[in-house]
Amino acid sequence: MVGLYCDDHITWLHRWPAGRKLACMALLGTLLFIPATPAPLAAAALGCALLWLSLGAATRVARRLMASVLIAALLVAGFHLWMGRPDVAAVSALRLACACTLGVALTVTTPAAAVLQVLDALLAPLARLGLRPERVSLQLALMLRFTGHFFVQWQKLDEAHRLRTGRAGGLRLIAPLTVQMLQAARRVGDALYARLGG
Amino acid sequence: MTSSYNTVSRNASQSMALVALFAALMAVLGLIPKIDLPLGVPITIQSLGIMLAGCLLGARRGFAALALFLVAVAAGLPLLAGGRGGLGVFMAPSAGYLVGYALAAGVTGAVMALLPQGTALRTAASAFVASALGGVVFLHAVGIAGLAVLASMPLSKAFMADLLFVPGDLVKCVLCAVIVHTVAKAMPDWPFGGRAR
Repeated sequence: MVGLYCDDHITWLHRWPAGRKLACMALLGTLLFIPATPAPLAAAALGCALLWLSLGAATRVARRLMASVLIAALLVAGFHLWMGRPDVAAVSALRLACACTLGVALTVTTPAAAVLQVLDALLAPLARLGLRPERVSLQLALMLRFTGHFFVQWQKLDEAHRLRTGRAGGLRLIAPLTVQMLQAARRVGDALYARLGG
Repeated sequence: MTSSYNTVSRNASQSMALVALFAALMAVLGLIPKIDLPLGVPITIQSLGIMLAGCLLGARRGFAALALFLVAVAAGLPLLAGGRGGLGVFMAPSAGYLVGYALAAGVTGAVMALLPQGTALRTAASAFVASALGGVVFLHAVGIAGLAVLASMPLSKAFMADLLFVPGDLVKCVLCAVIVHTVAKAMPDWPFGGRAR
């Protein structure tokens, strides 16, 4: 699976089990919302910065994502400063930056499949309510397959349109694409029934 | 219905395919470049996917499609507009909108099921109303609440900031209605809003 996960540079956080990482993140993420003064959050931000630096080159894939998060935090801070609330500015910007760092750190050090496995385990009790955890994995695979199919189908329609008119199809292709994709989904549904049904 | 653990009913297999299809549609719409507004909330075409999921799939499947999409995002796939993904995005100021995605698809579908669908044109009009209620009014309400909580922004300010997106989203409602009109003409047996015909 493609993703933001980075396995070129294995760090100490890669070696943690995904479940422990998710639990830590849930706990720390909640703790971040308790303090209302900047001091404890500044300490947390320092911790997050150290965490980030300790991951070294593994964070490279997420650098742009992180930059956009920091810009968003600065904009929030700027907004509160403009409203004349420097304390709120510091608290909300630090909180955002910390929470996002934790999330991104988890994402770059944990393969998507491992997160899904934890999710499977967490969803297991819901099986009694009719939700099948193993179906979630099948549906994710189907979803990735369909994503590719959208582009194949679009290209086919665009080529056909170019042949007829000499111009790119553009937005006019949305309607035939929708109908074709809906029909494709129906066929896939039938195929699934043929294989799994009974 | 399902008899044993490994078998599925025809209805369930259709559901699985359609849910996966609309989750994929969200991913495709996310690849279309986004326009960033201040406050860290980007304008994307992804909300069109929510409206379509609600109108074409109905409340239950529409919700499931968006939930599946969000699971993929949370697992670290960079599927949100601008290649964002991972758990970090669920803690950003715009996280309210993300959680709202699934709920909004459900609301859109529920409204769509209640509205008249006699002719293709009437169905399209219903789709416009349903997507305006679910994909704009409801989604923005959840998003505003998220901005207020996550960015400690006063509700009135969050509301003003949110208004920037409303014109664009109304255009998406029109687009959604146009697509529903096409589907209604091409596939007259399509159960809009999950309604059996």
